Amino acid sequence: MMILVGILITLSGFVISVLSLGLSSNGARLAVVVLGLAVSLFGIMGVLNRAYLKNAIWKKG
Amino acid sequence: MKIASKGLLTLCFGALCCLAPLSFAQTPAATPTAAPKAITDADLAGAPVPSADARSKGDPDGALTGTASDIAVTDAKKGATIGDLANQVGQNKIAINFVWTLVTGFLVMFMQAGFAIVETGLCRAKNANHTMMMNFMVYGVGMLAYWLIGFAIQMGGVGAVANLGGTPPLSAEHVITVFGKPFGIFGQNGLFLVHRGTYDVGVMVLFLFQMVFMDTALTIVTGAAAERWKYAAFVISSFLMGAFTYPLFANWAWGGGWLASLGTNFNLGKGYCDFAGSGVVHAVGGITALAVSMMLGPRIGKYERSGKSNAILAHDIVIVLTGCFILAFGWFGFNPGSTLGASGNGNLRIGSIAVNTMLAGMAGSFGAMLYMWMRYGKPDASMSGNGLLAGLVAITAPSGFVNPVGAVIIGTIAGVLVCISVEFIDRVMHVDDPVGAISVHGTNGLWGVLSIGLFADGKSNYGGSWNGVTGSVTGLFYGDNGGQLVAQLIGIVTLVGFVFTLSFVFNLLIDWALGQRVGAKSELEGLDLPEMGALGYPEFELKAEM
Repeated sequence: MMILVGILITLSGFVISVLSLGLSSNGARLAVVVLGLAVSLFGIMGVLNRAYLKNAIWKKG
Repeated sequence: MKIASKGLLTLCFGALCCLAPLSFAQTPAATPTAAPKAITDADLAGAPVPSADARSKGDPDGALTGTASDIAVTDAKKGATIGDLANQVGQNKIAINFVWTLVTGFLVMFMQAGFAIVETGLCRAKNANHTMMMNFMVYGVGMLAYWLIGFAIQMGGVGAVANLGGTPPLSAEHVITVFGKPFGIFGQNGLFLVHRGTYDVGVMVLFLFQMVFMDTALTIVTGAAAERWKYAAFVISSFLMGAFTYPLFANWAWGGGWLASLGTNFNLGKGYCDFAGSGVVHAVGGITALAVSMMLGPRIGKYERSGKSNAILAHDIVIVLTGCFILAFGWFGFNPGSTLGASGNGNLRIGSIAVNTMLAGMAGSFGAMLYMWMRYGKPDASMSGNGLLAGLVAITAPSGFVNPVGAVIIGTIAGVLVCISVEFIDRVMHVDDPVGAISVHGTNGLWGVLSIGLFADGKSNYGGSWNGVTGSVTGLFYGDNGGQLVAQLIGIVTLVGFVFTLSFVFNLLIDWALGQRVGAKSELEGLDLPEMGALGYPEFELKAEM
């Protein structure tokens, strides 16, 4: 379940950055694209990686 | 001592005096200007050609070979015409570009050998056969996938590649409309290299060059997943990457896709720019490597229960650094070859691109060596090698658009960045990457893409436009309004958000169907016997870990 959520969050960062193309000012586009990047990175590092680390082989001793 | 230095000064002064006339002699003499005269067919008919008698005596100094008599004529009775001459000039231009692109492609192909020994040397001896075999077979697996479908997806709609004579059969791009603008999604011509007229000399040259790039991306993953990846899973994963993941992003950046059109469609600089593939090749490889190694989990013994990371040492640092040199050599194909020609359309920048490449590599190795030396008290060999590669990865995208000072800055940052990234991925994310591939290719691939938006100096001129937008690629530090930086960042989020997701889903399916990771017993024993059936070094006495 966590993996599915992680995949969706990671992909949604990409969608956000594409949506920035609907704006007209470069400053606004920049802000939205950076937001998209942060969302994708959170999906990878904060959700997906955490899901795998939960059952990591080295935590079992 | 004083006398010696006086003597040296006298010698230097004397040498300068001798050289002075030489420097004057190099000043071009003023030439009388004459009105240009049009060449006619009659002039060509009168062009001196060596006699058959003279040719029959041989041509030891080469003065008689390659003359007007070698121009192909359409009508032997009429002799050479202006039309024949123009055709010959055109063919010579394309021939130069074909040879340039093919030879640089051969150099890139040789990088596979560099990757193979870098990765194998950084792993333990008990996995040597397995690691080498992954690096060896990724060449064939990737090529098969790319020939079957990958090339068509990537380049099937690229349109005219002028440097290679036009490549007219590659003309069908699948396009959707987003915000009222055409978004190229994938190419449609070129399956098996015969589909819809793609059995074409220019297409063949383009295929060879693009194929070796694709294989470079694939071989990055084998390093990060080494010492625990099931061989069968590796084969399927590499096939899917060569057939779909890589070609899709490469289409968007290089094949006429939507990222390249961000300039024409949304006024974002010259659109997403990636001269030789920091993003297309290296970041795609590095990000896929992150997805796979995250899924595989760390090698047994890499982390203690407390989370403390243990160093698992390389078994042969000599071949690691030799491999780094082979890669640096191959990079002279990677970056300068990406002009797809040496003649016409601003292609004489190949000299500048080659110099940028070598400077950034040097700066990267220095950056990493100094960082490690200051932080840990010793200049670490494997990280110096990774620093060289990081500098080369980072300069790959901007190599065609920046000046030498920019190249050195980009390379130095890459050298430091790779060390910090390796530590972060290892100690904070707890993702095990035996060779540092995620940091070298992923992190620095993204840095290379970003650096264009900052350091592109607006001096390059590849036929007067890039990605269909008139003018030169220019970054924020050279007066751009930030549009180029936004285009580069959109490319970065596409890599992190889309390419990662696609790679992750493909590999998740393989994990469910087949399992990605070998059993603990095989891993402890070493993968050579359980996975490959033979040891890499049969005469070594290898100890299994307990």
